Formats: sequence, structure tokens, C-alpha cells
Amino acid sequence: MFSKLSINFLFVIFFLVSCSSMNVTEETMYSGDVKTVQASSVNNENISYDSKAMFANATVYFDFDKTNLTSKSLQTLKSVANALNDNPDLDVVLAGHADERGTREYNLALGQRRAEAVSDYLVLNGIKKDRITVKSFGEERPISLGQDEESYSKNRRVEIN
Amino acid sequence: MKKLLIVLIFSSFVSSELVLEITQGTDDPYRVAILPFKGDKKLSSDIENIVINNLKRSGEFTVFIAADLLSVPKNEEEIVFNDFRILNIDYLVLGSINNGDVFYEVYDIKKGLKIRSSTVFGIPNKIRQLAHYVTDGIYEEITGIKGIAATKILYVTQSDKYSLVVADSDGENEQILLESSEPIISPSWSPDSKKVAYVSFETGMAKVFIQNIATGEREVVVENSSQISSPAWSPDGRFLSLTLYQDGNAEIYILNLSNKNLTRLTNHYSIDTESTWSPKGSKIMFTSGRSGSPQLYELDLRKSNSKPKRITFDGNYNAKGSYLPDNQGIIFVHRSSTNFQIALKYFNENFIRPLTVSQMDESPSISPNGNVIVYSIKDGETGLLAGVTLSGAKFRLPSNRGSVREPSWSGFLR
Repeated sequence: MFSKLSINFLFVIFFLVSCSSMNVTEETMYSGDVKTVQASSVNNENISYDSKAMFANATVYFDFDKTNLTSKSLQTLKSVANALNDNPDLDVVLAGHADERGTREYNLALGQRRAEAVSDYLVLNGIKKDRITVKSFGEERPISLGQDEESYSKNRRVEIN
Repeated sequence: MKKLLIVLIFSSFVSSELVLEITQGTDDPYRVAILPFKGDKKLSSDIENIVINNLKRSGEFTVFIAADLLSVPKNEEEIVFNDFRILNIDYLVLGSINNGDVFYEVYDIKKGLKIRSSTVFGIPNKIRQLAHYVTDGIYEEITGIKGIAATKILYVTQSDKYSLVVADSDGENEQILLESSEPIISPSWSPDSKKVAYVSFETGMAKVFIQNIATGEREVVVENSSQISSPAWSPDGRFLSLTLYQDGNAEIYILNLSNKNLTRLTNHYSIDTESTWSPKGSKIMFTSGRSGSPQLYELDLRKSNSKPKRITFDGNYNAKGSYLPDNQGIIFVHRSSTNFQIALKYFNENFIRPLTVSQMDESPSISPNGNVIVYSIKDGETGLLAGVTLSGAKFRLPSNRGSVREPSWSGFLR
């Protein structure tokens, strides 16, 4: 009557028995087959060694749900801007991050705004926009895994590479 | 055509509108007796147990098994309705398994009548799915609402790798759609549940992909040099709303999937993201930081130049909203003092209803029948999935795959 295996699609037949209140139903199942895919990651973070050496530890930090640069950040960024001005062949990647509190997509956007704030500062200080790549990892790449302000404050950051 | 036919048939069965009440079910659950299924012993007890667990998890049933009963009929002739009436049992289910197919009957005890007689034709090695189909038939017959046992949940797990996983609605039968060494976030189903959209960082930056579940074919939906995130399908499956960062800031766009045209929806210097469509596709809700803290806003797509209208006012963090399937309200992530919890707001009420109580509840996704919300919780540093029914019942879903998060509920598959 039915070729069970060949039916991949939802197929339901209801026979309504008109003279009684009883429902008579027949249905065939959906197969739900799944194919697994492996993502091949392209590592775009291979920065030249010169650049790595120069900025390896350049990270600036932010307050919760904030994107403005603190006075401490401005000091760090000043030396980054100087280094970039002295080395016009170097490009820079700004990766923004957030702590784990709040929703993932909002945190992705927050990380992006933090990275944009750093980018704006660098542009104001003479760095051409086309030398800067801005991106965010939101809350996906925490440095510290604790659930306290000490860890959170380390995670709200922009890494400059 | 086939699809349209099914919709018409179902709508003729669901006589009343879906009405969601917080207290529904817990005060007065349906009392149902599930008698031992006949046929192959192992198979019948497996199916029986899955059906019983499914019904219990809904929070709407008190289930009686053979040991709880005065008599245990093997067939229609042996049913003594008074033995069930004494125990205040409302319904009785008889079932049998024959050659991989399940036959089951539902009896209304008060009326002393058979009200349903059903057959589900099995597929080899899909026992769980077979039991879910049986559950949904029983559930629908008794409650008048379509069941969700035979639906699927999509989520992300993280151990040494990130995986995009699809599982049955009870968390069992996990299957991997994608494995990656880089983060995967924001998975969501196409309305026909044949494709998924998600954000993968595999290229070094957030990009939105669409993947066909059965074939594994996948594509990046928009090619540009900036990051792209937060995909949500329109109810008709023709459009995807997205967050694009090409303007130097998170802005919401609508992508026409057939001609790839992009239409910009928001234009504000603060964050606009986490867009989602109303059930009929006439509105987009999103999270915006334009008031100084994340709040939910709505845009009416039927009006040109419509201005975003703020719809949440309680507290300083309301984000990642979704509409109830009957469009009577929204669920979202709400921060009360320091805790993030899942909250519900009906449009005709001026207060919010917190649904959960732990500290880091996120990513609520509602079942297609509108009765259950699945969301992610944190147990220390490990993520787990939990569920809460709108009737107040709570449960956790098992996963053997490390830290779990971002559940997304499929549409009806049956």
C-alpha cells in the first residue's frame, strides 16, 4: 500500500468519519535525515611577525555596556598610533570583545562598537581607514572564565594586532 | 498543494484559538491512562516510555500506568469504564506495534466512547520519532492543540570544537549539522524546517550561512568585507532579516533570498540587532541601544517610513525578543537587578511576567504551538538547555556534548 522508505515528505491522510465523533487517522513519518558538514577555518589572524612584536600586548578595556575610551586606553592608543605612523606598511586588526552577560548578538554589536571607537581614535590620529580591519567576537572568546567582575573586566576589551 | 491541504485539515481540527494562560494545566492536568502497548516487548516498552515522558514533560498531564489501575484491559472489549471513573481518569490510550507500525486508540472515559483510532507507519530505526508521532496524536486529540513531540531543536555546543546540533524535542537523538574550530552563534530554522541559518566565524569574522539539513549544501548569504550576523527568516521563507556592519555600526537589513537585494531598515548610531519577524510577517522586532540601554522596538513593515516604536519599559535590559505564535505577546531576555531571566509580556497587559529564576538565562525560543519555551541556562561555566511551559512546568534537556546554548525550535514537522 505504501512504500515507506520512499516517502521523505510529510504525508498525512485524515479520514473524517462523518456520522460519529471519532477521528480515524493514518500518517507516514518524516525521515529527518541529516548530513554533517566540517567547516574549514581560514585563519585570518596570521599577522606578520613585525606587527605582532610591536603590538602583541596592546589591549584596551571598557566598562560594562560602555564603548567609550578610558584615559588609560588613550595612553595605550597613543603609542599604537605613533607606531603605525612610524611604520606606514603595517596594517592593523581591531578585535572587539564583550563579557558574557547579556545576549550574544547584542554583545557582538557591543564588541564591534568598541573596536570602532578604537578605529575612530586611530583615524583621528592620522591612520588611514584602509589600514584598519574592525571586527568583533562578542562574548565568544573570553580571556578569563570566572563569573565575577574581575573576570568580566578582563573580557571587555579590544585587542590590537 | 500538499502542504496547503494539510493546513486546511489541521485547522478544521483545532476548533478554538490558542489561548495561553500561565496557570493552564498545572491546577487541573488531564488525567490519562497509558496502557501497556502490545507487540514486540522491548519495542513496545520503549515506545510506551517515550510517550509517557513526552506527556509528563508537557506539564499538562498526570499519567497513569498499569500499576496505578484497577483493571488493565488489553482491548476495547475488556475496558470497564467505571474502573477508570473511580480514579477520576479522563482518557485511556490502548496501543500496539505491528511490523514497525503503531496503532493506537484514545477513549473518553466520561463518555465511555472511543474518540480516536490512529495508525502511524514507521520508518526503520526511527523508534523515537514514531513514539513522538503517537504522543502528538494523543496530545492533539485531548487538548485540541497540535503537539510538539515530533518537532526538533537546534542548538550550539562547545567542547574542543563548536558544533551545530539538531535533536528531538526531548533532547535525544542528537545529530551534528556542522563542526568547526571557530564559534557558531544564532542558529535559526527556515519556516519549512528544511534549512538552517546561522553565524559562523570560520572565515575569521562573523558571517551568515544558510545550510540545507538533508544535503549539507551551504552558502554565505551576503558577500562583503564587514561582518554580518543575527539572521531571522520571514514567515514565508522568502526573506532573511540580518544585522550588517558595513555602515560602521550594527544596522538591520532585509535580504530578498531570490534576487539578493538588500533593504535597509534601521538608521541610528546606536546598536540595532536581534531582529525577528511577527507571525504574519508584518512587523520586525529588534533590540536597540538608542535609549541608552538595550530595549525592544517594533517596526511596522506595512507602512513606508515607519518609525521604530519602543515596546519594553521595565528595567534597563530587555533584548532578543520573539513573538508568541498567536501574536498575543512577546518573550525576551530581561535583567532584574543583576539576574538575566526569560520574561513574557502580553500586549494587552502593562506589566511583564518573569518565567525563569536563575542568573544567566538566555536565548528563549518558543515551540510552534506556543506552549513551551526552551532557553539556555548556566550551571557554573557549563551551559545547559532548560524548558518552561506557559503553564509553569519546568524541565531540563540532556545533552552529552559539552556546554550547550542558543536553542531554536523548529516548526511543525508532522
